[in-house]
Formats: sequence, C-alpha cells, structure tokens
Amino acid sequence: MSKKIITIITVLLVFGLLYVSYEAYIAPKAVEGSKEVTIQIVVEKENIDKTFTFRTDHEFLTDLLKEKQEQLGASFDSTQYGTMITGMMNYKADPAANEFFLFQINGDDAMAGTDDTPIQDGDTYKFILTKW
Amino acid sequence: MKIRDIVLIGLLSAATTAGKAALSIIPNVEIVTLFFIVFASTIGLKRSLFIAIVFVTTEILIYGFSTWVIGYYFIWPLLVLIASLLSRKTSSEYGYAVLAGLFGLCFGLFFAITESFFYGPAYGFAYWINGLTFDFIHGASNFIIVLLLFKPMEKILDMQASRLQLL
Repeated sequence: MSKKIITIITVLLVFGLLYVSYEAYIAPKAVEGSKEVTIQIVVEKENIDKTFTFRTDHEFLTDLLKEKQEQLGASFDSTQYGTMITGMMNYKADPAANEFFLFQINGDDAMAGTDDTPIQDGDTYKFILTKW
Repeated sequence: MKIRDIVLIGLLSAATTAGKAALSIIPNVEIVTLFFIVFASTIGLKRSLFIAIVFVTTEILIYGFSTWVIGYYFIWPLLVLIASLLSRKTSSEYGYAVLAGLFGLCFGLFFAITESFFYGPAYGFAYWINGLTFDFIHGASNFIIVLLLFKPMEKILDMQASRLQLL
C-alpha cells in the first residue's frame, strides 16, 4: 500500500476520533425545555385547584398554553387586544355572570396578557375564575 | 507590476472563485486552500497576496458585506504568507498537507475570534464549539486534497509559468 494511502487513512482515523470525542464530550446537547414553570388553575365553584409543571423553550406564555391546550382544558378568544383566556379545565367563564379568569404571575396580578408575558424559569402562573 | 502580472492575478483569482463555486455544494470541502498554497509556492508571495485580496473582494461582490469579510481579508493572505515561508523550507507535499489540514481545523476558531469582537467572547466561544464538526471536515478534506493534488498542480503551474516567462 502506498505511503499516501496509509497517511490518508491515518488522517481520516484521527479526524474520526476527534469527531467522536467532540460528540461525546463537547457538542451541545439538546435538552427538552430549558425553563421550568408552574401553572395553577383555580375554579372554586367547581372545586378545581390543579397545578401543572412544564418544561418549555417557548418565549411567551400563550405559546405554552396553546401547546398544552388539551391538558389544561383551555379555550381562547383572539381579540384586537391579543389572546384572551376564556376557559380552563374545560370550564368556560360566563361573561353574562361577570366571570373571567384572573391571571397572576408569582402571586401578583399580571400587568399584561399572556401574549406579552415572557416565560421565565421558575415562574408560577395562576388562573383564577373571578367575578368583576 | 507588469501587465502580464495583472492579467495573471485576474485569471488566477477568477479560477479560485470558480473552484470555490464548483465545490460549494459540499459543505467545507474546498480547493481554495490548495490553490493559494500552490500559488504561494510557485508564482511568488506578492502575486499570490494580490490574488487572495481580489478573491476576497469578489466574494463580497457575490455574497454581500458582513462581519466574515474582515476575517476573510486576514485569513487568506495569512495562509499565503505561511505557505510562502514554508516553501523556503520544504517542497514536500506532506508539509503543505499538514499546513492545509491545520488551516481547515482552525478556520472556525479564527472566525470565532473575529466574531467575538462584535458580539462578545461568549458568542465567539459558542460559535466555535457549534461549528467544530465542520472544522473537522474542513481539516481532513484540506489535508487529503493538498496531499493528492499539490504536486500535479504545482507541476502544471511551473510549466506554464516558465512557458509564459512569468518567473
């Protein structure tokens, strides 16, 4: 076998080894959801108080709610002001009875809707059926 | 500089651009490194540096202006310079193949350094780590291409350069 072929095979082996080591020890690993958040839903009149924990990479809360729509029993309305949460745990707020879902972030009333709420690691989002 | 040199620089930089375009479908496999090493070892440092600069300028005209441009203006002339220095020490294709392999392997690192001036060291580091797979391909393919094609190409260029009284 000629010297060049042996050299080429050796170089390919060395680079192959480098690649394997890179994949095993250095390459960035994909993680399922880098942020962990808690969503709590309270519908007192239905004796509902459920807490969910999710890992996500979504940037804004609406995207997470839509992804987990089935599990959360959520329903939405698109309005000119953004997405409105009309139902949770398959319970639909009744506007005729002045019902709505109060949205809190870490215990404080949210100042913006879910469309404009950036998801931050460790946050707790609470949806409480309330009357105005 | 003679008219003959200007024509030569134009033709060889066009050949380099064409060579790069021809292999652009294979990620990080290129013959630009081979060309510049052969040029530097046969037609001289000055002409080769001009070819590198014309080549990079043509790349900007084709692909537009961005931060990589700064890196390109340094890295290709740097390769020419190192190859020219190496040609005074050795004529073995193995030496040039090692140079080409190291050049390909460090290509991403060099751009990571220039990118970090714009976006910070953390970005530069992530840029380098994410692109290491491509650097491995670049390094290995450069080594093989130069090892196999340096001598035949050098012979052709030497012959033509003598025929056209370029040297």
